[in-house]
Amino acid sequence: MTVQHIDTPVIVARDRDNVAVGDEIVRHRLATRLIHWSVALTFFIALVSGMPIWSPIFGWMAYLVGGLEAARLIHPYAGVLFFIASIVQFFHWLPDMHFREDQKGWLSGKALKYMRWERVEESGKYNGGQMLFFWAVCLGAVGFLLSGIPMWFPLQFPVWVREICILIHDITFIAFVLAVIAHIYLGTAAEPGTFRAMTSGTVTRKWARFHHPGWYKEVTGEKK
Amino acid sequence: MSEQALEIKRSSASMWGTKTGLRTKETVSKYIDTTTCIGCKACEAACVEWNDLRTVATHQEGSYQTLPELDAQFWNLIRFNERTTSDGDPMWLMRKDQCMHCAEPGCLAACPAPGAIVQYANGIVDVDPAKCIGCGYCATGCPFDVPKFHKTSGKMSKCTLCVDRVEVGLEPACIKACPTGCLQFGTKEQMVQLGNARVTQLKANGFQDAMLYDPPGVKGTGVVTILGHGHPEWYDLPVDPHVPWGVRLWKQIVRPIGVIAAFATVLGFFVHYTKYGPKEPPA
Repeated sequence: MTVQHIDTPVIVARDRDNVAVGDEIVRHRLATRLIHWSVALTFFIALVSGMPIWSPIFGWMAYLVGGLEAARLIHPYAGVLFFIASIVQFFHWLPDMHFREDQKGWLSGKALKYMRWERVEESGKYNGGQMLFFWAVCLGAVGFLLSGIPMWFPLQFPVWVREICILIHDITFIAFVLAVIAHIYLGTAAEPGTFRAMTSGTVTRKWARFHHPGWYKEVTGEKK
Repeated sequence: MSEQALEIKRSSASMWGTKTGLRTKETVSKYIDTTTCIGCKACEAACVEWNDLRTVATHQEGSYQTLPELDAQFWNLIRFNERTTSDGDPMWLMRKDQCMHCAEPGCLAACPAPGAIVQYANGIVDVDPAKCIGCGYCATGCPFDVPKFHKTSGKMSKCTLCVDRVEVGLEPACIKACPTGCLQFGTKEQMVQLGNARVTQLKANGFQDAMLYDPPGVKGTGVVTILGHGHPEWYDLPVDPHVPWGVRLWKQIVRPIGVIAAFATVLGFFVHYTKYGPKEPPA
């Protein structure tokens, strides 16, 4: 990666990934941010319209979309939009999401270590846990779509297909929502300075050096 | 059609308070004796007439049967089946098909819309179209393939056991119309008694395999059927109907676990934050 120090205003620089501008480094260019938020928005519409059907304990969510009938109507379309956004996100982020040797092992202990705020790896732009989340989202999007179609048009499919699909949709959702809760926690309260990477697109040098030392070195050419 | 005057015993997708009312009602049941049914279809006509159902177009398919299966506008169907006995004699089996009003209804178990499917204190299982969202889960849950989707209204519909008649002390329209007495209506207890007596009589008259169809897999049905030749499958009935395992698994196990897991995760992160605080670079 070439080192770039740009004097143009930050706002222009924000359209280019991995450039340092003064005290800030551009982490996610505009396209990345828009794609991320389109996935998030469609996911939340699908979530709000799906959860009241999923369990009556979330029945109140139906009112946010105009009632349970509206939820049933909206949910599949929101789901399709979510899938399309996820496809775009998949191809957009794919080049950054190949695991390096030192980024493996998150499911066998690294995640727990990480959650104790221990340093687990000299990660690149994304650590193994973030990559794992990316792949989980892609897999989840496919699982939701495939199991969702027979739920959308139940009378076109045999009963056993519908039964299995509802089960797959449920299990995918549970895994997905737990991961999303973790994602939101880590992206906001747990790691201050992170959220802005998805809003204005930049992070501070200090943040980059601390959270992604490998990436910081690549971008700035500095030793940490 | 939801009849507010009737007490509700169970209600779909309702966590508590599913029981309403103070009166205890006796469980009602239809009695269908296939051995004395003559296939006249008076019950079909009475059902369509009483319930103001539209006429469904029929097609000649080489059978006396009005339609291949039940329809959102056709809740009562005589099924005609032709078989040959082991002696080579022809059998012409007729059975009145409709909602079985299971004591443990798979449709109600599967339904995600609160109150869209209810079971009244007298055992009648009913769809409330005002609350139905037309998702078709009930069709997935029903072991008898009874609830049908009505395209125009976007709702599911099925036999109500003429709850509006029963509520005011009348018998269902189909029972009223039957000319042979093969259809009877009363309390479940009476109908089972009647059925057992008839089975005994049939057996004494050479119908060795005669049986009373009141499947225990769904805790019994609100329609008891006398099958002269046994073999429920000969009459297009499932041999051992029960709420599908998939419905039980997702509704009673996976979803509660999911709900608890989601809340536990949120709570877990609050505890985590309290313990570890934010992850920040050393000052």
